[in-house]
Amino acid sequence: MCSIEKGDWEENNMELTIYKEVQGETTIFKLEGILDITTSKVIEPYLNSFSDMKVLILDFSDLEFIDSTGIGSIMEAIYLSQEKNFILKLTGINESIHEVFKTVGLYQILDKIHEAEI
Amino acid sequence: MNRDSLSSHCDKNGSTQEIILDKVLEREIKLSKNIQSKLLNASPPSLVGAEVSGTSHPARLIGGDYFDFYPLTNGKTRIVIGDVMGKGIPAAMIMILTRSAFRTASGSTQGPGDALAAMNKAIYEDLRVLKSFVTLFCADWDPEKRVLTYANAGHNLPLFINGKKNLVKEIPKVNGIMVGGLPNQVYKEESLQLEELDTIFFYTDGIIEARNKDGDQYKLERLIQTLLDNKFLTLGEIEKYVTSSVKQFTVGVPQRDDITMVLLRVNKIE
Repeated sequence: MCSIEKGDWEENNMELTIYKEVQGETTIFKLEGILDITTSKVIEPYLNSFSDMKVLILDFSDLEFIDSTGIGSIMEAIYLSQEKNFILKLTGINESIHEVFKTVGLYQILDKIHEAEI
Repeated sequence: MNRDSLSSHCDKNGSTQEIILDKVLEREIKLSKNIQSKLLNASPPSLVGAEVSGTSHPARLIGGDYFDFYPLTNGKTRIVIGDVMGKGIPAAMIMILTRSAFRTASGSTQGPGDALAAMNKAIYEDLRVLKSFVTLFCADWDPEKRVLTYANAGHNLPLFINGKKNLVKEIPKVNGIMVGGLPNQVYKEESLQLEELDTIFFYTDGIIEARNKDGDQYKLERLIQTLLDNKFLTLGEIEKYVTSSVKQFTVGVPQRDDITMVLLRVNKIE
């Protein structure tokens, strides 16, 4: 079974579109555009609506830029995965976003929380 | 002034009340900006064997970037630069929390790694509740040995500007998780031997992530070139040139993130 929904937020010409795709017990949120202080609020209801799933995939393939508020949103998804006991996977990360995640220690937080779950 | 006391000044018209409230808020924001500006832009300390300078330009009226200097009892000076998640008033409030934690930690810790660990311990729970975090880079300047010892909590690496060669590069890497990311963190330390006229450029990502109308970023390469072109200027002049270079690049696009830089330059040996 597969369903796709679309939600978007546009302000000051900065746009974030989230495509939600459900494949069995896996949900994929594909982020397109910019995840920053002006757009990060759009991801919150998506994360909060996430329940009864085993795997959440955040797909960054079409994400151009992320700022610290956007990183905060990803951190909340990580903590939510611990709280609601699901697996969170980050995919399609481009080189510049990968460098930002590496610098702030985001991967280490994700590893540590998954390690704690095991 | 609270809302109750405001009401005594208002007439029956709701819009008048809103106008007065707006003015009060505007005044309080200006006062907050003034407090932050005074705390951030206090005169830099006089160091033995080196000079320091720092400046911060918030994207909004007030910001979440932070830098500070703390004289240690062993003759060294501790330098910190940080970036609170988000912008504006919420980030500024957490910046003040961070400043208190830094000053308390610096009074009781040996090295920069210990200081970051103590700060994380002190404010981790608060940051989790507030769903926020702070990236910090902390360094101790030893004037006797001319050594900079440093530790990193998720911040971008400062740049080393060679005083004698035409060279600007990132200082040797040291990693660590942002403050507020995980509890009970240990932060590794690295050291760098400096020579006369060498300069260290600490900064926040608002510089290299500044975007122009086409969406292109200023990037590290452009910052390195700007520093190479201006390395013989005074620290204050370098700050001005970097700021104006970013403004020239973004040409009219509003500043989206706070911009902060701190420079440490080793004095020439007489």
